[in-house]
Amino acid sequence: MGFIDLFLESLPLLLQGLSLTLELAAVSLAIAMVIGIVAALMGMSKVPLFRAINRIFVLIIRGTPLLVQAYFIYFGVTGVLGIRMSAFTAGVIALSLNAGGYMSEIFRGGIQAVDPGQREAARSLGLSASQTTWRIIIPQAIRICIPSVVNQWCITIKDTSIICVIGLAELTRAGQTIIARNYRAFEMWIMVGALYLLVIYLLTVLSRIVERKVSLD
Amino acid sequence: MIKVEIRGLCKSFGPKEILKGIDCDIETGEVVCVIGPSGSGKSTFLRCINCLEEPTAGTVKVDGHLMDENAKNIDELREDVGMVFQQFNLFPHLSVLDNITIAPVLRKRMGKAEAEQTARQLLERVGLADKADAMPRSLSGGQKQRVAIARALAMRPGLMLFDEPTSALDPEMVGEVLDVMRQLAEEGMTMVVVTHEMGFARQVADRVLFIDGGVIAEEGTPDEVFGNPKSERLKGFLKAVLES
Repeated sequence: MGFIDLFLESLPLLLQGLSLTLELAAVSLAIAMVIGIVAALMGMSKVPLFRAINRIFVLIIRGTPLLVQAYFIYFGVTGVLGIRMSAFTAGVIALSLNAGGYMSEIFRGGIQAVDPGQREAARSLGLSASQTTWRIIIPQAIRICIPSVVNQWCITIKDTSIICVIGLAELTRAGQTIIARNYRAFEMWIMVGALYLLVIYLLTVLSRIVERKVSLD
Repeated sequence: MIKVEIRGLCKSFGPKEILKGIDCDIETGEVVCVIGPSGSGKSTFLRCINCLEEPTAGTVKVDGHLMDENAKNIDELREDVGMVFQQFNLFPHLSVLDNITIAPVLRKRMGKAEAEQTARQLLERVGLADKADAMPRSLSGGQKQRVAIARALAMRPGLMLFDEPTSALDPEMVGEVLDVMRQLAEEGMTMVVVTHEMGFARQVADRVLFIDGGVIAEEGTPDEVFGNPKSERLKGFLKAVLES
């Protein structure tokens, strides 16, 4: 069978896997953004306890492999608590915590990169601390963060492939399944890789457009 | 009437003592210019007045209210104290009009339309009526600083602080900013101006403070300070500044 025929034959299953990959990535990244902003604000809080929670969270997330985090949540936590959890739910929890940890550092860096004069000007006008943060600092921090955030999105989209170890039939697992039937590892991994590449490429193009639209320079 | 009352003001950054005990009253309607060598504590003095810096010791009162970062009403107290910065500090993500309306809308619960009308009047006053919809990045330094003044005035403050407002400007733009400040002084605004513009201080100030080494080393009317300096330090400073 030629490459084209092989591709057409595999396409339905690969697209099924791809759609699950995208769903997993989209849900996880949406939650990760919220976790990231909250964790970043905690990391810069005046309350020592909040700062400590942020530090420990980031340390654990960065200090352990995603694979271990996914196993821990799907097998470890469910076992100890005696609860049942779908592989998708476990995957979302692992990915969103993981990406959230990295995002919190990205957001913290972005917020701290905003000129301190901006906060001073806002406070001197009488704006409260929270009005200053949300109306003046965050809108500028987001612009600074866009390249790093998109970078993290790319990483997390590809990290969904690690979630196949807990039995989720996402794109990488779909590739494995097909290879188990047709033994065409060379061609199949090219196809799987190309689909990831396509998604990342489209995201990159989109981010460039957004970056240009919101640029302040 | 006393607008600002400063007693025993000290400020240290770590082991570094910047202000070493300043006592000063500023009357309503008075224009006070603060001069002195760089690093003498002029800007720190100014920033203590609206509590951007928290005093290490001593008190600052505006209209009898203690300026304290931890006071519940510190935001309301700051509304009455406008500030203009050396680096302008316009909000780069907001248009000129939004820069001016954001505080009135958020703080005074002024309607958007009313705030915009006020903002346009202020822009007219500083000679920038045609720049309402421009973004800050497209303005020159002098224009930015005039917008910054309009932004501060939009809160209808009773006191305006100027922190070296012309120091970051190209020489040809200094005049347009000083003109706006001069007009403001003539209208009776209470102003504290940290400046290196001796001509402006001499012409506009009711009183000049010479801060050196963290204390008010000498003060008086412009004629006294510039015409008849008493201390050697002030004489040396004026000589160095006026010769350059």
